[in-house]
Amino acid sequence: MKDINIVIEICGSAGEGTISAGEILSRFMSAQGYEIMSFDSYPAEIRGFGKCVAHTRISSNPIYSPGKFADVLIALNDNHSISQLSALKNQGILIYDSQPARPHEEDKSVLGWVDPGMTTYGIPLTMLAHRAAGNSRGRNMVALGAIAAIFHMDKEGFTASIENRYAKKKKIVIDSNVNSFIEGFEWAKKHIEKTDSFFFEEATMPLQNEKLIINGNQLVARAALDANLKFYAGYPITPATKIMEILSKELPRHGGTLLQTEDEIAAIGSVVGAGFGGIRAMTATSGPGFALMTEFTGLSVMAEVPAVIINSQRGGPSTGIPTKTEQSDFNAAVSGGTGDCPRVVLAPTDTYSCYQATVLALYLAEKYQTLVVILMDFFLSNSIRNIDIPPKPSEDLLNANVAPRPEELENYQRYKITENGISPRTIPGTPGGIFFATGLEHDEYGRPNYSDKGHLKMTEKRFKKHAAVLSEAPAPQISPLEGKMADIGVISWGSSAGAAREAVMLARKEGIYAASFSSMMLSPFPEQALIDFSDKCKKLLVPELNYGGQFANFATHIIKRPLERLNYITGRPMASEDILEKMREM
Amino acid sequence: MPSYDHYVILGNGPAGNNAASFLRKNDKDARITIISDENIPFYYKPGLTRYITGDLSASDLIVESLPNYQERNIRLRLGQIVDQIDPEKKIVFLRHKEKIHYTKLVIATGSRARVLPAMRSYAGCLKHITTYNEVLEFKDQIQAANDFFIFGGDLVGFKFIKMLGSMGKKVTLLLYPNAFWPFTLTHEMQETIVRNLEQEGADIIAKDNIQTIIEKENTYRVKTVKGMEKKVDMVFSFTGLIPSVEFAKGCGLDIDHGILVNETMQTNLPDIYACGSCAQIYNPDINSYTTSIGWPNAVVQGQVTAMNLLGDHKVIESVGRKYFDLEGVKIKTTWWEGIEESSSI
Repeated sequence: MKDINIVIEICGSAGEGTISAGEILSRFMSAQGYEIMSFDSYPAEIRGFGKCVAHTRISSNPIYSPGKFADVLIALNDNHSISQLSALKNQGILIYDSQPARPHEEDKSVLGWVDPGMTTYGIPLTMLAHRAAGNSRGRNMVALGAIAAIFHMDKEGFTASIENRYAKKKKIVIDSNVNSFIEGFEWAKKHIEKTDSFFFEEATMPLQNEKLIINGNQLVARAALDANLKFYAGYPITPATKIMEILSKELPRHGGTLLQTEDEIAAIGSVVGAGFGGIRAMTATSGPGFALMTEFTGLSVMAEVPAVIINSQRGGPSTGIPTKTEQSDFNAAVSGGTGDCPRVVLAPTDTYSCYQATVLALYLAEKYQTLVVILMDFFLSNSIRNIDIPPKPSEDLLNANVAPRPEELENYQRYKITENGISPRTIPGTPGGIFFATGLEHDEYGRPNYSDKGHLKMTEKRFKKHAAVLSEAPAPQISPLEGKMADIGVISWGSSAGAAREAVMLARKEGIYAASFSSMMLSPFPEQALIDFSDKCKKLLVPELNYGGQFANFATHIIKRPLERLNYITGRPMASEDILEKMREM
Repeated sequence: MPSYDHYVILGNGPAGNNAASFLRKNDKDARITIISDENIPFYYKPGLTRYITGDLSASDLIVESLPNYQERNIRLRLGQIVDQIDPEKKIVFLRHKEKIHYTKLVIATGSRARVLPAMRSYAGCLKHITTYNEVLEFKDQIQAANDFFIFGGDLVGFKFIKMLGSMGKKVTLLLYPNAFWPFTLTHEMQETIVRNLEQEGADIIAKDNIQTIIEKENTYRVKTVKGMEKKVDMVFSFTGLIPSVEFAKGCGLDIDHGILVNETMQTNLPDIYACGSCAQIYNPDINSYTTSIGWPNAVVQGQVTAMNLLGDHKVIESVGRKYFDLEGVKIKTTWWEGIEESSSI
């Protein structure tokens, strides 16, 4: 048996079926038992013919990052695929349309730009699609058929995946797609003289459990429903829209309400209102929307009202680059806004932890009566993984409100000073539980109070919650050090953590004794754990997808020693290859 | 005045590359594109036999690395096959359906192994040493094999036989007098060659021909017309080279075996030149066209072509290294001075 580890990219124009072909490939590979991680990039414009890339990594072993370079590039559109060649490995395989409808003008053919060392297989995609279905729409399926033949994949299993994908469509659609796939398969089997050495036969397929094929946005929506979400308000924005789209269908079925507001200010206002009313509420947005929500985030903290915001980061500032991934909202999430405004910030590090983070966020917001921000990003929102089905949250995570005891209602202090900062909270309508809620500084009863002592006392109370939150936070993920000093410690957060972990494993194979540290909890931050970790590392590296090293700056203040940085803002997810390269240089 | 020329050179051998280098040196602004069906940078073909023995590595063969082309702003298109030429519209059509527009075209596609018509039914059994990719395919197989059958015996073939001898391999050569097509070995030449090769341990068969080759379980059974039978591990054919000019047929270019050019390397069509072993050059002394082979000839022809493309009127002359020493027999690498004279050497 041999291990499989391959990255296949399909590049085409919007409307050519690029993304659906990638999805079918991912589902088929998952059904075959492989680990998959797929990620699509597409143009920001809703209409048009921009470049789409479906990137799929397939492996017999656990996957932590999508892989920087592709082993195989399927070019459905020559013009777009030319620039994608730079992401194909030097010894990669290019599948292209050998019989396009019209000859390419000079320099417009992808084959014209291949490097020596690459293997090229010309498949008459257009001609075969016409033969199969009378039009060229099935070129994507012809291409899948061709790779299935070239790489010795299971033809019947692949066909079943195509049938499943289009099961809700008319028979003619299913037949057209299946026939196109078979045309591609049979043609390639007969005509392609295989010169590469890659094939799927006798490969290790370790996955046995039932898997969930899902992306981060879908998992957040599922987690929110499982965690008793009852109200969602939002305004559509890439890359968070899918969460709202799913909840618009599912939330009413779960007894909840979804409100599409006129903008993000109204959305967070509604969420704070619903939280005040005692039900679990959240919104999802991206950078520009998050910026608009700033005023209400302060109100959530000041008035101690539960609110959950999911910020799926994209290229910024302002409207920025809507369909590219970035990690540049760290500062805004952790310390954006006015005043001393302690809030909870969670950053899931992979698809699976998007579920955990969402359940935890709704729990923490309710229990600690505060704002919780989940920092996702375009990559986490959209990358598809096949994961173990997450267990449903336990009861104690579903009912977290700390309600006052009956005797506390006799002289009810909504903002009572307590040891952990949590004041028992009444839900409006509770007899004896009437209180003032305001954005102004206030006393224990919620009445406006501007005295210096009062302001200090209440600020301290709000900050006290941090220590308590930290005691419930998931522990940072730290690679075992077996009592030795690490040559390099890689400190990462969010979606870069997977690439960091993979880079550390690769580095160890090269003889660099590296270790990784990542924490889902960004605010409050497990500072002591980071200090302990850094003390065990000779050198430190922080890779992140922003220009200024926002998290690196934050970490420097904690560990009080210099560290190396790896920053890029290419719009692509963090690559383990780049982290490893940086480690070699250190 | 900036040049807006686009020189398209078909072929990535010594003729094409020398033409490209000279053009770039003398025309900084022009676009220059080299197109080759081989997927490897410019390499030293005569070194292929030494590559097989391991005396040279793959990187040793490379004459010009890829960054050198980038530095000189020469676009190198490797692994791309030319399907046809439209001289009227000045377009080269590539097999993958891309159109390349040129202002001046140089055809320097070289030549490929000749397979005799009678041998075509056994073509699948025959191996040649003409390109790097061919060699790459069977390099390891040669190391493992013991018994070789060689048919023909051109320049590369004799070099290969010597190499096999030095590796301790057993070689049978069926000498084919027309291996140097279009040049024929005289009886005396054959005798000398046979004598020399026999001294090196090769088993030589002359005045015979192949009747059948049968492949069975990775071995080959070769039967000759005169009834000799041999079981061998590999069969090679060395029966000379023919110009690779199929793509140019039917476009209006005058073609005999190769593309016919005048003494300035120009074809019958405007702005199209040919050089190297794909060209047949007019020789006014014999009022006919002759083909030349060998690296030095190709280099000179490439340069002369470039000079004329740039407006010169340079007439080709034969070059210094005129002869190959072939097992004691001197063979001219050019027939420029007349076939009869060459035959008498």
